[in-house]
Amino acid sequence: MGASLPPKEANLFKLIVKSYETKQYKKGLKAADAILKKFPDHGETLSMKGLTLNCMDRKPEAYELVRLGLKNDLKSHVCWHVYGLLYRSDREYREAIKCYRNALRIDPDNIEILRDLSLLQAQMRDLAGFVETRQQLLTLKPNHRMNWIGFAVSHHLNSNASKAIDILEAYEGTLEDDYPPDNERCEHGEMLLYKISLLEECGSLEKALQELRKKEFKIVDKLSYKEEEVSLLVKLNRLEEGEKLYRVLLAMNPDNYGYYEGLQKCVGLHSKIGQYSPDEIDQLDALYKSLGQQYTWSSAVKRIPLDFLEDVKFRDAADNYIRPLLTKGVPSLFSDLSPLYDHPGKADILEKLLLDLEESLKTTGGYPGRSEKEPPSTLLWTLFYLAQHYDRRGLYDIALAKIDEAMQHTPTVIDLYSVKSKILKHGGDFVAAAALADEARCMDLADRYVNSQCVKRMLQADQVPLAEKTAVLFTKDGDQHNNLHDMQCMWLVYELASGESYFRQGDLGRSLKKFLAVEKHYADITEDQFDFHSYCLRKMTLRAYIEMLRFQDRLHAHTYFRKAAVGAIRCYIKLYDSPSKSSTEEDDELAKLPASQKKKLRQKQRKAEARAKKEAEVKNEEANVGGVSKSGKRNVKPVDPDPHGEKLLQTEDPLMEAGKYLKLLQKHSSDFLETHLLSFEVNMRKQKILLALQALKQLQRLDAGNPDSHRCLVLVPIIPIQDRTLRFFHKVASRPAPTTDGEKLISGVLEAERLTFSQLQGKSLVEANTVFLEQHKAADLHLDKYVHLKEAVLVVYADSLMHRAAVAEMIFCLEPNKKGEAIKLIEESSNNLVSSNGTVREWKLKDCVTVHKLLVSSFDDQDAALRWKTRCADYFPYSTYFEGRHCSANRDSKQTHAENGSVEVPPSNGKVEKLDALKNLAI
Amino acid sequence: MGAGRAVSISLDGVRDKNLMQLKKLNSVLFPVRYNDKYYADALASGEFTKLAYYSDICVGSIACRIEKKEGGAVRVYIMTLGVLAPYRGIGIGTKLLNHVLDLCGKQNIGEIYLHVQTNNEDAINFYKKFGFEITETIHNYYTNITPPDCYVVTKYIAQPQPKK
Repeated sequence: MGASLPPKEANLFKLIVKSYETKQYKKGLKAADAILKKFPDHGETLSMKGLTLNCMDRKPEAYELVRLGLKNDLKSHVCWHVYGLLYRSDREYREAIKCYRNALRIDPDNIEILRDLSLLQAQMRDLAGFVETRQQLLTLKPNHRMNWIGFAVSHHLNSNASKAIDILEAYEGTLEDDYPPDNERCEHGEMLLYKISLLEECGSLEKALQELRKKEFKIVDKLSYKEEEVSLLVKLNRLEEGEKLYRVLLAMNPDNYGYYEGLQKCVGLHSKIGQYSPDEIDQLDALYKSLGQQYTWSSAVKRIPLDFLEDVKFRDAADNYIRPLLTKGVPSLFSDLSPLYDHPGKADILEKLLLDLEESLKTTGGYPGRSEKEPPSTLLWTLFYLAQHYDRRGLYDIALAKIDEAMQHTPTVIDLYSVKSKILKHGGDFVAAAALADEARCMDLADRYVNSQCVKRMLQADQVPLAEKTAVLFTKDGDQHNNLHDMQCMWLVYELASGESYFRQGDLGRSLKKFLAVEKHYADITEDQFDFHSYCLRKMTLRAYIEMLRFQDRLHAHTYFRKAAVGAIRCYIKLYDSPSKSSTEEDDELAKLPASQKKKLRQKQRKAEARAKKEAEVKNEEANVGGVSKSGKRNVKPVDPDPHGEKLLQTEDPLMEAGKYLKLLQKHSSDFLETHLLSFEVNMRKQKILLALQALKQLQRLDAGNPDSHRCLVLVPIIPIQDRTLRFFHKVASRPAPTTDGEKLISGVLEAERLTFSQLQGKSLVEANTVFLEQHKAADLHLDKYVHLKEAVLVVYADSLMHRAAVAEMIFCLEPNKKGEAIKLIEESSNNLVSSNGTVREWKLKDCVTVHKLLVSSFDDQDAALRWKTRCADYFPYSTYFEGRHCSANRDSKQTHAENGSVEVPPSNGKVEKLDALKNLAI
Repeated sequence: MGAGRAVSISLDGVRDKNLMQLKKLNSVLFPVRYNDKYYADALASGEFTKLAYYSDICVGSIACRIEKKEGGAVRVYIMTLGVLAPYRGIGIGTKLLNHVLDLCGKQNIGEIYLHVQTNNEDAINFYKKFGFEITETIHNYYTNITPPDCYVVTKYIAQPQPKK
């Protein structure tokens, strides 16, 4: 380094490097300038000066200097290394890798550069390169533990676990017998557990178990040791030993559901789908009874039997489980039990059980069959449970009656207001739900959870400004947007919900902005793993490290990312279908004006834009200055140049933008129907017929499940698939005859594929030769199809509202003159009862709203829509959408916010006090 | 007594963050809506205003005002004391009042008083149990409830002797 300089300057150069490492940038800059005074073209100095400036937020200069330095000294590994570091600081990892490689070409054994390169390769998952670099590092410095471990990990990541084991064993061979010293016992133990997990992964189970037991005394993490041992035992089918060990583990933690599951597996009483024969149920019951006597303080041991018990036994067990929790006052009881509502018949049993408890508490003050009185709060929690129970069953009026009764009993419990808000939301009254959530929020202003929940409800009611004001109560300095974004935890309620709200309100710019903000979080999370590549190897937390990398690899499969990506793609599709008005309208208006005026107007616009830009810059600077003065160091927080997402709307090619997110969805969420539905929509618009066909085939693949076991899963998806299949071939049929070779090829593929699709639809076409029908006859073919489809849907599958709606839409799409028949098909649907006691109905509010929108937009039939609305208002009296009789939109006119308590009547003389309430105070 | 098992009753102060709890209680306990001054006084009284929690549910409150008499002495006025109906009879009111009485003792406050409607015998008996006495009758104190008269109920706390 700095070798070409005379001694004095060479020392100065060393000072620059040292100053950079110790973050004394000003000092480094001075030294650099001193060298450059004498040697203005010295490449390495120029590069180092650039790197120093980069850390002082002078990026453009930095790049200029580093590039100049490189140009002046292309043969210097320092210049290349610095260039790589610069790219790395800007997260341009691919470019950085290239620079490092160039540096290594000049200085192949530079440990520092090799290490930096290996980190980037791990980050970018350049696994072959990672292995290579790690090998080189080990060859250069075989006495470093980290190099052995790093080499092993690289092989493991590169899907060569057995090689990784060999390396670790070779490494162990280099150690003395008395290794490890006391201060490295934990690290060594972790390494051993990692090696054993590798053996397990390779399937060498016997060897893994042997090794584990042999090294027991060297493994510090005893719990992991036991868990690993039991996992191996079970895999080796040594179930008796496994059972014993699971009992040991349960004694350590009797609330670990995994241990119970393992124990069940060992004694041969385990079923993945939770279905057992009566005999098995008896055995399980006995098992858990004996476990329950051992672990009296465990709640898992009491809760698990509720999953497999049935009928009377279930009733009794539930009774025993619920009573103490109601007495204690556990607000989460309903969430705890809610999975049971998916089991047939259990909801009815629970309902009867809770109603009996309520009745008894009201008449005797105690539980049925007990002389002991319950505390007054027991009735409250019973009512609270019942309200959630009826909400779950869709009986909103009873749910509201119960929650109101609870509120009368004890008006100070915040959970009551939250639940009431939720019930109203489910009932479709978003405004009232938001008001209730706000009431809950006001009862504890220091509770972030109720605040967040309130914000979410407000957004659901499309009260965005109010929601922002509320959310901002929990941010620092009122700097809400950046702050809310920085606190990633907010994205779920805030960014997704407000993105959706803006979408409903048609504000695509803001909506897109919010969705893309979520995407940004995921990019940040990917970024955040970088530091761990070196940290974990040093600290030997190898199992956790590998797990983290695997998590990162499937990060974009996460629900929130999927939702945001779906939201963004929808925005782009909408943008494509109706390009933003402003530009086209303006253009129209401009076109009408004479040329001279046009010019003036344009100039005016340009000036306005320039002014706006300048203002933003000034603001930006002010913000920066403020940051400096406050914290003492430069605190860069640029003002968002596009707060309303207007720039996002001006994208040239919305479908291409959509394609980016679509790719991520296709890669990470290929098992979700929505992914392929969107892919179909996007590709149809792009005229990419074959890609659309591919999406259809994916949809078909997802649908291939067995209808009996996945009835619910299959029913809903099948409709959009068939709908789109029909639309697809309908559209294909209307294409002009193929002329070029490419088009002919496409239509050939389509003809071939058509056969597979016709078989999908329950009944295959009788005439196999129709596949090769001329295209103008294709329309007839579709008519055949939809007749079959209609029968198939109405006969084979449940005659549900959504099926009818989809069939109707298809009829109308293929044959517009059959509109009346199509609408009739929808209107003849009936809202059937689904519960045993005849109170719960089948239709969901969401579906009815969808149907209404269909009638308004697709069918464009206002009369039918109105009829539908009136009918639904009856079923959903709380829905604001259908303007039901109980919804807040209607109630407001009759009574003005009586429950809100906003009208405060001050007492006449201001000091009226009364102790009426003490009347019943028995002493 | 209500439950056969011990349920913890605890007291907590009133702050602006949980003021709504006191408002909710008052809205169901008393037929009057209190004005802002009431709540400002309650907040200002500090430890003299408390919420009572019955196993983490807020079920009652005592709200006081600290008054300066001529000559610099201080007395305490109980603005409200109340417990939600289902939770009465298990000692919560007693606990709240005892808390304030203890505080008076600790802070050498010699006088504590309140107004009670003349027909509210339960309340009068309750306070008598703690050594309060009727010291005055004010006619037409209330404007919109009957009877409109009230008693002033006062307890004088003997000042501990100054240190020897």
